[in-house]
Amino acid sequence: MSTTPTEVRTRLDRVTDPELDESIVELDYVDEIEIGSDEVTVRFTLPTAWCSPAFAWMMATDARDELESLPDVETAHVYLRDHMHETEINEGVNERRSFGESFPDADGGVASVRATLDDKARLSRQYAAVETLLDAGVSAEQLCGLTPGDLEIDAEPRADGARAAVYLAGDAFAVTVAARPLDRYLVKAREVGAIEANDDPLFRTPEGGPIDPDQFELVHRRGRLARTNMTGQGGVCDALNESRRRKLDRESTEVVDAD
Amino acid sequence: MYTHEGEDVFVIDGHTHMWDATEENIKHEGGEQFIQCFYDYHTGFTPEERVRDMDDYRKFTPQEMKEDLFTNHVDMAVYQPTHLHEFYTEGFNTVDDLGQTLYQEHPDRFVLNGRWDPRDGEAGLKELERQKEEYDVRGAKVYTAEWKGDSKGWRLDSEESYEFLEKCVELGIENIHPHKGPTIRPLNKDAFDVGDVDDAATNFPELNFIVEHVGLPRLDDFCWIGTQEPNVYGGIAVAAPMALGRPKKFSEIMGELLFWLGEDRITFGSDYGIWDPDWLIEAVMNTELSDEQVEEFGVQFDLQAKKKVMGENIAELYDIDIEERKKQFRDDAISQEFGLGDSYGAPASADD
Repeated sequence: MSTTPTEVRTRLDRVTDPELDESIVELDYVDEIEIGSDEVTVRFTLPTAWCSPAFAWMMATDARDELESLPDVETAHVYLRDHMHETEINEGVNERRSFGESFPDADGGVASVRATLDDKARLSRQYAAVETLLDAGVSAEQLCGLTPGDLEIDAEPRADGARAAVYLAGDAFAVTVAARPLDRYLVKAREVGAIEANDDPLFRTPEGGPIDPDQFELVHRRGRLARTNMTGQGGVCDALNESRRRKLDRESTEVVDAD
Repeated sequence: MYTHEGEDVFVIDGHTHMWDATEENIKHEGGEQFIQCFYDYHTGFTPEERVRDMDDYRKFTPQEMKEDLFTNHVDMAVYQPTHLHEFYTEGFNTVDDLGQTLYQEHPDRFVLNGRWDPRDGEAGLKELERQKEEYDVRGAKVYTAEWKGDSKGWRLDSEESYEFLEKCVELGIENIHPHKGPTIRPLNKDAFDVGDVDDAATNFPELNFIVEHVGLPRLDDFCWIGTQEPNVYGGIAVAAPMALGRPKKFSEIMGELLFWLGEDRITFGSDYGIWDPDWLIEAVMNTELSDEQVEEFGVQFDLQAKKKVMGENIAELYDIDIEERKKQFRDDAISQEFGLGDSYGAPASADD
């Protein structure tokens, strides 16, 4: 029983470009998926030969780890193509070396880079979640007082039409909104450790503290700015990616059966 | 001169080059990758009927540059050198490339910027003095992601860099243009840091820092710094072409810049020859913020703001008297060559 292309894509869909907070499948980075009896090989290309090696490293190791968590995959191989640092990255990732071993001149590991970008993603997702709630009539004051315990999200938050209920005024009444923006925010906030307990403040300042209602407007604007940066850069990367794929004749993902 | 809704808009293109990336000038794989990447930027945003072919794109001559800029709505251009000697035998786009050609013939049409790199040490300081002496440069482009030997970049807030910034103060090179785009250096700090601009701007209040490409992909960090440092500006080269192909994204970026920095600290740049200026200028000038954006950001991108972005802000930085220049350009060599005199107002209708 070997792995199906759909299973591979679903796993890869969980891997994001850390700078854009978007899946590498959605971004069309994946060139080729090769499936064998207990091995999977993935080849991918980034929008430029100069994309940050630290970001490339994160995507390659995340893809490797996601694929190896599939029950029928013993080993995953991941290869970055046409990049100024492809040799260091491909050898390092597939031979299970650390980023520091692969890039001896790096002053620090990849973890701090990841943490910074994850935090920007958290802020950007918070903006989307807060906008959803503001549109539903929740006030700034109420938003600052919310906790994860005040939320009730459908079991399948990614499904079409999924809803989330937000309990306000000591559970006296609930507002229901689309589940997706709230779920996306919660996933990231928990991932980065901004939210740990059910009675923690739900929304945070960029620095990670609770939001004082007087500061709400500024925090929200900074969230918007984080989102504008990501979507704006996404526009640049998207245009580069399209051009480069046309030039390299890699306009679709190829699936190869290795058996 | 560009005309918008019947009104003249004086355009100073704040970011231009004249490069040589022909195969005979390339000495390192990075040089080929570099121009290929530029070409992807070109094809990714340029309207189809205006796309150049790769051979045409590898090299720009003085004659081409003159024509491409001044017959396409540009009145004056700021030349931003990018040496990249590690990749290109004769350099990619050097100070002297323009200094020894077009600048000699048309000094009033250009702002020629110098460049420096702290890793050049004493020789670099001497070279900066030469640039000042030879061309009286008022600004300098600095490319912190440039390769040099084993080094893959440098920081603006380093001790060596401060020595050069001090030299800039001493020589009256007031406008520092750091390129802060994506960088390939795998160092964690450099991966997305504009913090070095922050410290340099704080420590050198007598200089202006015009961050090229508005820090994208770190627009958020850049704007946050810009709110705190009055001598930090943003050049919109590379963001600008989105005005045509991705107008919603462009207007969001403009909304943020107007909100955090204000209309006095944003400068236009085409990034010529990555793109030609005519369609870019039109696209930026035709950008309208939606009512929703105006309400959300509390800012306007009206004709007054557009005129500032298109020329007045750079004029301010480089002490250019726009009205004086217009008079000069009525019959200067460029206007004569391309028949542009009328656009600068025939003497009969002049109000002087």
